[in-house]
Amino acid sequence: MTLEPDALTDSIDRAAETVGTVWPLHSFVTANPLAGFEDDPFHRAVAEAEQLFGGRGYPHPSVFRQAWENGQIDPDVLAAELDAHDVSGEPETLLEEMTAAESGRQAETDAAAETLDRVLSKWLAAFLDQGQAQWSMPGRDQGFYAAWRDLVPHDDEVPTCEDPADLPESPTTALETVLSEYPQGRWEALFEHHLAALPGWTGFIKQRADGHAGPWQEAYPVSLLEYLAVRLTLADLLDAPVAPDEGEGEADETAGTGDEDVPLPEMWLTAWEKSYRARLLDHIDRGATASQSTDDQRPTAQLVFCIDTRSEVIRRHVEAAGPYETHGYAGFFGVPMRYKAYESDVEVDACPPIVDPQHRVTERRRSDTDARKTPRDWWSQLTTAGRKHLKSLKTNVAAAFTFVEGGGSAYGGAMAARTLFPSKVADVSGAIDDWTPDPAEICRPTVDRCADPEGDEALPQGMTLAEKVSYAETAFDLMGWEEFARLVVFTGHASETTNNPFDSSLDCGACAGNPGGPNARVLAAICNDEDVRAALRTRGFDVPADTVFLAGEHNTTTDEVTLFDGHVPESHATDLERIRDDLERARAAAAAERTESMPGSDRADAVRDTERRTADWAETRPEWGLAGNASFVIGPRELTEGRDLDGRAFLHSYDWTTDPDGEALEAIVTGPLVVTQWINNQYYFATVDNGVYGSGSKVTQNPRGNVGVVQGNGGDLMTGLPLQSLMAADDQPYHQPLRLTAVIHAPVDRVTDILRDHAEVAELFDNGWLSLTVVNPEQDEEAFHYQGDLEWEPQVREPLVH
Amino acid sequence: MAGQTRSNEAVTLSETATVSDSLVPRAATAAVWALFLLSLGVLALTAWERGGWSVLDLFVVDGLTAVVWTVVTFFSGIVHSYSRRYMAGDRYLEGYFGRIFAFTVVVMTMTAADHVVLFVAAWLAMGLLMASLIGHEREWAQAQAAAGTARRYFLASSALLAAGVAILGWTTGATAITRILQQAQQIPRLALLAAVCCLFLAATIQSALFPFHTWLLSSMTAPTPASALMHAGFVNAGGILLTRFAPLLSGETLLMSAIVVVGAFSALLGQAMLLVQTDVKRKLGASTMAQMGFMILQCGLGFFAAAVTHLVLHGFYKAYLFLSSGEAVERTTPGVGKHTESSLARVGVSLLTAIGGGVLFAVLTGKGTELNSGLFLTFVVVLTTMHATRDILRRAVLLPWLRLVSVPVIVLTAIGAYAALFNAISTIISGAPMSEAPTELTVVHVALAGLFTGAYLATELGWHRSSERLYVALLNISQPDPDTILTRKEEYDDA
Repeated sequence: MTLEPDALTDSIDRAAETVGTVWPLHSFVTANPLAGFEDDPFHRAVAEAEQLFGGRGYPHPSVFRQAWENGQIDPDVLAAELDAHDVSGEPETLLEEMTAAESGRQAETDAAAETLDRVLSKWLAAFLDQGQAQWSMPGRDQGFYAAWRDLVPHDDEVPTCEDPADLPESPTTALETVLSEYPQGRWEALFEHHLAALPGWTGFIKQRADGHAGPWQEAYPVSLLEYLAVRLTLADLLDAPVAPDEGEGEADETAGTGDEDVPLPEMWLTAWEKSYRARLLDHIDRGATASQSTDDQRPTAQLVFCIDTRSEVIRRHVEAAGPYETHGYAGFFGVPMRYKAYESDVEVDACPPIVDPQHRVTERRRSDTDARKTPRDWWSQLTTAGRKHLKSLKTNVAAAFTFVEGGGSAYGGAMAARTLFPSKVADVSGAIDDWTPDPAEICRPTVDRCADPEGDEALPQGMTLAEKVSYAETAFDLMGWEEFARLVVFTGHASETTNNPFDSSLDCGACAGNPGGPNARVLAAICNDEDVRAALRTRGFDVPADTVFLAGEHNTTTDEVTLFDGHVPESHATDLERIRDDLERARAAAAAERTESMPGSDRADAVRDTERRTADWAETRPEWGLAGNASFVIGPRELTEGRDLDGRAFLHSYDWTTDPDGEALEAIVTGPLVVTQWINNQYYFATVDNGVYGSGSKVTQNPRGNVGVVQGNGGDLMTGLPLQSLMAADDQPYHQPLRLTAVIHAPVDRVTDILRDHAEVAELFDNGWLSLTVVNPEQDEEAFHYQGDLEWEPQVREPLVH
Repeated sequence: MAGQTRSNEAVTLSETATVSDSLVPRAATAAVWALFLLSLGVLALTAWERGGWSVLDLFVVDGLTAVVWTVVTFFSGIVHSYSRRYMAGDRYLEGYFGRIFAFTVVVMTMTAADHVVLFVAAWLAMGLLMASLIGHEREWAQAQAAAGTARRYFLASSALLAAGVAILGWTTGATAITRILQQAQQIPRLALLAAVCCLFLAATIQSALFPFHTWLLSSMTAPTPASALMHAGFVNAGGILLTRFAPLLSGETLLMSAIVVVGAFSALLGQAMLLVQTDVKRKLGASTMAQMGFMILQCGLGFFAAAVTHLVLHGFYKAYLFLSSGEAVERTTPGVGKHTESSLARVGVSLLTAIGGGVLFAVLTGKGTELNSGLFLTFVVVLTTMHATRDILRRAVLLPWLRLVSVPVIVLTAIGAYAALFNAISTIISGAPMSEAPTELTVVHVALAGLFTGAYLATELGWHRSSERLYVALLNISQPDPDTILTRKEEYDDA
């Protein structure tokens, strides 16, 4: 008897691996929706996922056709790819073949199962609500199953249940009751089927249950076991099928094993990726790195940006504006913190989900600032009070009517202003921003370790000297730094948009969908610490006395870079002034480049156009985010300097010569590289099936429960990026759905060693979730493509026909 | 060949950035703003002339027409301009702009129609266009189901309207609404009652009152700006219909009481349904149902001008909230439950302010200065003022003096702004057959005042929270049509 619960939870855990984790929309964390399938080859994974979720795994043939006709797929590469799989036929014929195969895609539905999904999604929405409803589901603190059990007798959509006592008391008993008819061997398949029925909600429950228990999970616990208990009990009550059709799960057998089952779209996709890779390698300057630039003058400033693809654009323009060096580093700047912003009462994990936060960092008012209230305090208190007041009136049963009559005119005026004069609205909100000081000016993050009344042992407030030194050292190690300019700027990034439920998807992915400025400020504070510098000196990083570190934030919507310069000494005032001017020029140039790719933009005044986008409530494409991402270049800037990679490449600084034992590269490959693969897969799947792996068009979205959006009248929770983040128009993809091409500048053996030590990373390459090319500085900058199983193939360098 | 410049190489994306700019959206937007200017002109003229112009017995342009024209073209203009950016890249962009523009013209026709056939035809066309906007996503089954649901309701409402005006036309022998109203006294009582019931039912369907609210709560498959247009410019046609035929209704105290009861029930039910909603758009839908209930209630009290004012102001409010619905995802922490501690002093201040607000409202609008149904409206204002005052006084983050100052400032400006608009609209539409005909104060009104007070107290004190049955009932009654819910995401259209 005692073994039973274990068997149950084990099968649930195994079945749950197929469910892609879904984070609440206000902290949009990047994840591969098919993360649970990564131990399978790509084509088999997407076929399995299609069986379960009905989602498409490859671009629609029309997308291939467009790419083919635009010349994005090299005919020779395609021919070679088809040849390798013994496929014959003209590309045109193959495209038609793929199009014809499309009509076969049809999902059958069962009426009772549909009712089950609908009734269950009603209760899930009620239970998982995070403060949207004034009157939330009663009894939520008992957990999902118990709360539902109390209410279901009143639900006339479930006519067969009259009394809670008719139903088992605990979710485990409920599950066992339903499962008693089925052999244990079938449980896992059965659970898999039911977890896949409402993948948006189950993914969200999965995140709530196995992430660190946030306040909502603590207050109102829910688990996949409870979900299944409610679902299967409901299935029983509604007479819906409990066991999946026998037909399901057959995909594995028909798919077979071995190489011959590679589908046609996989070949097309690979050919497209290889065509892109060839052009990218042509673009990369493989001569420049030969002469390591040590003779150069000391740069005026070094600016470190996030590896984010949007940094590629601004970095090019910053470099063009003056004698600046720019570098790429993960945008959380290696500081794994749980952060609480000024005036905020929620803590966020400002680090990628593969890293656990190690410190609490809070904003405290600086002791040297005026302790009295600033305009900012006034303003935020007034607006908060006002907002709450309006909410109280809107939702009151009796007061709402007169409120609408009294306040209607104001709403009318605001509506006209925001619709007809969005640029003016942007000016006004800019003026308010100027008047209310930024928290960075009046606050300081609590970097130093200090006793924390509410802190716990596991997550102390601030960090020790040793920890600080190690964060600084890691940064310089990974980027391969040996010299320091007078000014070193750590530049985080954040977006600025309005009326946009997906705003956090545009923030820093390395900070789990949060702005990167706070992390940058923490690292700058660490590096300015004299004790840290002394310790660094003993470890070989001789930071000159005149080097000042400061933090900044790159606004990715406007390309404006704000410098948090409160503590920069007088001696650096002119440097600062100069860099500020140059950043302004870089911004104008970057904005001009970006607006070219934005539909409906005012190209005559790009800066103003980007400013309008920040405040325009009718704008569904405020910026392109990471759309277009296709490659990740790990190496010195010399490889890509002066080359226009069109904001499609992640860039991480790395110098193989300063990393003899390969530790830095190992950290990059197991950290940032994996995160970029998630981001890339997320964009890929949302583009190839925007309904199943994306959240559809913003035009018909409906925000639900402060956790996400649904389409139209609701049902399952939508997950992933919206159509407007990926497509220039309904029928015109902007993001090219390509799997990531990683390029590493290092000796091949070093990379092989890392892959050998990290089977979980090698598996991603072996299974084709992304591809890897090494540019080998020890072999005349030759490129080697990874073939799987630690094998490499040298690139055939064709003579460039120019 | 220079490899450095932006070229057609596969590394760059730039070739995909151009999106064809169709002429239709641009032309429709310009045209609708031109119509707005025209309506403003007509409004000024009617305000000056205080009369109506009849054109061939087909149209009559009076104060009500001018007010509704101005308001509808304003909403439509906003929706057009907003959609120019919001809907960019949409597959059915031209059809969408065609429909919202046609909708605008049809609503204008409806409010100016004097000939009954024209009136009914416009009413029907308005419904069909709106249904088609709900089904904007042609390949999305749930959107088509929602459009189908709405279409069935609108066909029923048009049929009822047609039946109602047919009876009226038959018994009076007139084909123009103005003439029917002039000859109302010769209509046999039974026929009149039947006709008026038909019209009233048509209005309740259009305004999504209980039990006809399901089409509205299933309509969220419409693009957001189309929803804004629906909630600001479509549902309120019920109020316009009742106002148009006001002379037929106002004499019938029993009927007017029934209208009041139906309106009040939807008003309270809608607000109660709002409490349990977890998604933004359905919340707004429940709120619209409630507000439309209140508008119909005002009609039933005989305050047709107040109903028209309400539909205008509600339009501003609701359109704004739809257009900003993307703002509604915020990071929150579980609330600690509302506790309402209230000191005696605060209760005193609140009560005094409330009475002051009521007196101000009565003086400025003339409602409630006599012993008639207007007292009910004044009473609701008193209740609201009291709630607003209590809420402001509770905001501990604000300094005490700020709280004390903001109470009169907010109450004064809100009531003042309302009164100004109400008086303007009353004056302008006074030329229409009937804008204000308060009924005598009946026991129904007193009972409703009691009900509103009870509902207010119940929600303030949290009595409703003890009933699980009520929670589930509210949740279920607000469910959309089952076929319009997207539970399998592969059915979502992304062709």
